[in-house]
Amino acid sequence: MNKFVKNFMFSVVAIFLISSSANAFKLGMAVGGHPCCDWMKSQGDVARAIAEKKGWEYLELNNEGDSATAVKNAQIFVQEGVDAVIQFNAQPGANPAIQQILGAAGIPVVTYDIAEEGMYFVGIDNLGAGIAGGEGLGKLVKEKWNCEPDLVVSAEGAAAGIVNTWRTGGMRTGLGNICPDIPAEKYVSFESNGDAAAGLAPARDLLAANPDAVRIAVVGLNDGGVLALVNAAEQLGRADEVMAWGQDGAFITGDNVNPRLVGSVFYFLEGYAVYAIRDVIDGIAAGNPPPVKWEADDPASQVKPCPATAAEAQLVPLEAERVAQLLAAPIGTTAYDLFCVN
Amino acid sequence: MRLEHAIKPESSMSTLLWLRFRAFSAPIFLLTVWLLLIIATAIYRPDFISYQTLLAVVFTMSIVGVMAIGQALVTISGGFLDLSQPSCLIFASFVSVKLSEAGMPFIIVILAAIITGLFVGAINALIIVLARLNPIIVTLATNFIGLAVLYLMFRAAEVPIGSEIHTFGRAYFLGLPATWWPMLILIFIVGLLIHQTRYGRQTIAVGGNRYAAQTRGISLKKTRFLIFSIAGGFVGFAAILFCSASGPFNSASANILQLNVIAAVILAGISLEGGRGHLWMLFLSVGLLSTVPTSLVFFGLSSDAQAIFQGLILVIAVTFDAYRSRKVTL
Amino acid sequence: MTNTAANLDNSKNFINTDRSWKEMLSGPVASITLVFFIVIALGLILVGPRFLSFSNVSITGNYLIIPLIVGAFAGFALLSGVVDLSIGSMLGFSAALMALLLNQDWGIISAGLVTLVCCMFFGGINAICIVGFGAGPIPTTLGMLTALRGITWLICGPSYTIVAFNLKLFTIVNHRFLGIPTFFLVGLLLTLIITLIVSKSRLGRHIKAVGGDEQAAERAGISVKGVRFLSLILSALGAGIGGIIMVAQITSADRMMGFGLEFEVYAALMIGGYSILRGGVGNPAGGALGILVVGALGNIIDLTASNSYFANIIVGMLLLSAVYLDRLRGGDSYD
Repeated sequence: MNKFVKNFMFSVVAIFLISSSANAFKLGMAVGGHPCCDWMKSQGDVARAIAEKKGWEYLELNNEGDSATAVKNAQIFVQEGVDAVIQFNAQPGANPAIQQILGAAGIPVVTYDIAEEGMYFVGIDNLGAGIAGGEGLGKLVKEKWNCEPDLVVSAEGAAAGIVNTWRTGGMRTGLGNICPDIPAEKYVSFESNGDAAAGLAPARDLLAANPDAVRIAVVGLNDGGVLALVNAAEQLGRADEVMAWGQDGAFITGDNVNPRLVGSVFYFLEGYAVYAIRDVIDGIAAGNPPPVKWEADDPASQVKPCPATAAEAQLVPLEAERVAQLLAAPIGTTAYDLFCVN
Repeated sequence: MRLEHAIKPESSMSTLLWLRFRAFSAPIFLLTVWLLLIIATAIYRPDFISYQTLLAVVFTMSIVGVMAIGQALVTISGGFLDLSQPSCLIFASFVSVKLSEAGMPFIIVILAAIITGLFVGAINALIIVLARLNPIIVTLATNFIGLAVLYLMFRAAEVPIGSEIHTFGRAYFLGLPATWWPMLILIFIVGLLIHQTRYGRQTIAVGGNRYAAQTRGISLKKTRFLIFSIAGGFVGFAAILFCSASGPFNSASANILQLNVIAAVILAGISLEGGRGHLWMLFLSVGLLSTVPTSLVFFGLSSDAQAIFQGLILVIAVTFDAYRSRKVTL
Repeated sequence: MTNTAANLDNSKNFINTDRSWKEMLSGPVASITLVFFIVIALGLILVGPRFLSFSNVSITGNYLIIPLIVGAFAGFALLSGVVDLSIGSMLGFSAALMALLLNQDWGIISAGLVTLVCCMFFGGINAICIVGFGAGPIPTTLGMLTALRGITWLICGPSYTIVAFNLKLFTIVNHRFLGIPTFFLVGLLLTLIITLIVSKSRLGRHIKAVGGDEQAAERAGISVKGVRFLSLILSALGAGIGGIIMVAQITSADRMMGFGLEFEVYAALMIGGYSILRGGVGNPAGGALGILVVGALGNIIDLTASNSYFANIIVGMLLLSAVYLDRLRGGDSYD
């Protein structure tokens, strides 16, 4: 093939690409923005990678855990002419305003984990995940302590809003499903901020206020929160019979897992984009939007939680490795398919 | 206290006693409030007086105490406030984690943390001294930048379970936590040194009246450079205490400590204007501030209500202290 | 020192607050104006002509309404020599209370008035402690920051968020005048008015005198306590207004509203020439420009899809550069 033909073919391909990119589908993503969690950043990374594979344009903004910023980001999405938005909005109070703004511009919205009328719901049933975790812990409490713990501690994270109520409340419910006779006064809670370091001092204070408790079952908003209590118990010399079951699986993988963390519930939050894109965005991009299912119990795409004991969790790779494997797998494979050992 | 009173011979004994009392009135005030708090809680719940409560309070004192030493040094030297402690702490913690993961001996980890703290403090010091900028603004800016850099560097880190530093965070010495003793020793040593050594007195002089200090030949630049760096070093050491027990932490984990540290310095009577204060008073103020949350838990208050009380206590304490020192004008 | 009529007239000798327009416009305001134009140019280069489109300016303007208004009022306190660190929590409290009252079917005006009165009440507590008893502004307002945050949490209650959609408020706050959000223009106008008050009126001279040299102001017959008391109330009022606007814009109130606002606002004000430790310096126009600069930088970061944490690094560097430039010009020097 001589140079002339090669150049000609190159130009044809280039012209085709340029003209098609003018009409390329543009995906906007607003990530959560809390410094706490790896997965918030990874949600954006995975969405970006999939969008690139599909040849879409991609705009990522950061909600910074702040409602005013989330509203501003919605306005920017409208201005930048995105065709669909995925958001993780930690402050759901702003969602009605966001839905107004994006809805008026005709831009469909996928929202993660916290339902809002008019927005496609993609995510976990946090309440169900909580219950699953609570039941997992309940089985151990029944087996080891005959359903008689001295204390059931909830590590709250009020900043997470309704998600906190669902997860910690769900876990208490789940525990109560297996061990219904635990008296109400054994249920106590402390504010952990969902962070093992920040929650350490309040956890110590709570343990000091319950000095006789030896068999302590711990539930909470996330792994970080329950670990705050575990580490506090270790400091106070009372960790021998502490059993903690977390949520989100952030600190139960790898080789530095605290032995008192007996289980967690993986959501594989980093991989939510696979669900959102497969079940909602693909349809929108093809001009065939699916019906708007906005309720958590009738979602546009249901992410299944993956409860796991510590032993089972050892088979799950670390978050960074999971993201890499997820992106290497064929589009549409979910993290649940790849990693859930149940 | 007017001049006439001081001269009256018949009241000279009571004057002396009053002066003595006045010098100790601030610590007596703190101690009284602390004791009242303990007694009130104990009345409401007698099991407040227990070994577990002591441990809980003492552990909390450790980190805040060491950080407060650094903060107090900055304040006494006329540096107002060091707002970059959270980022310095996390930097040093991050270094500690990396070295622990690499299997370095504990003593190396400690030294590295202190050196990291010194380094961060030196950066602040350079900007403050060379550009002659207000330390509050400089440390505000460096904290902002530092936290952003930390976030971009890593998301979560944790010391290896079973490592020496991990064991240290849970160890006891003479019945009290191993992390507390360094705080105790440091507060009293530094409190002593700052009044007994020439460099310490120079630092206080610089804080009190920098023009007079300059006239006496003290180099403002050198003193300030050293004190900001040393303050960073203390935060670096606090990082060891922090990450020895904290489990997984991230770049924002140390932010809540800042308010407690500043409150401790102010309650210890270390004036933000500089040049005044006794570091050993930090023991009392840190102790009081560490006991308050525990007391509130015993009283059964939710964490939301606890925040209200903690804020009010600071406001009332500072106001009362100001009122007292105005009433007794010398 | 006797207070003769002659001494009172000589107040101008003690406190030189008589500045020409030229003098006022040089200094920190000039620097921040320069930075402002540089940032605009940067935006046009990195983002393109749409950086200055009505749409983009409106988005940023909308977002900056609250910092502008809160900053304008907080600037009063800085000028008079006190710093109110509780404005962020005050805003959160104001938003929560407003949302609560709206939810109880209160009218906008009555809910707003009650909210503002409550904010001024807490501002009054700040004022009594700081001005009346002589407590340091930094620790006192830090304590108030914590206490108000706790009160906000209690108001928000177990549901963590109060949803309060009020159509009238929403329409008012989103109203546009010639394509730009009306309230943004109101914020700029307010800044202009306050700039005039501060530089031209007697009240403004008194405020700056009190901040600049307390004793000289006393000797000149200005009530230092009165001025500072008023400025702290105003600071609380500004935060209260900000909270109400927040509820109007976001149609809800949540636990974390206003968290960290005081650092954003004061960093921007300092970039614009104010000092949180030295009263009497600073120009409301400079402060507003500082807020605009930080907002514009954030906008550039958003539109160029850069990591938003880079914005923090840039703002930090900007803060350092601004105070350094100010120092070179003879301003606040740490000697």
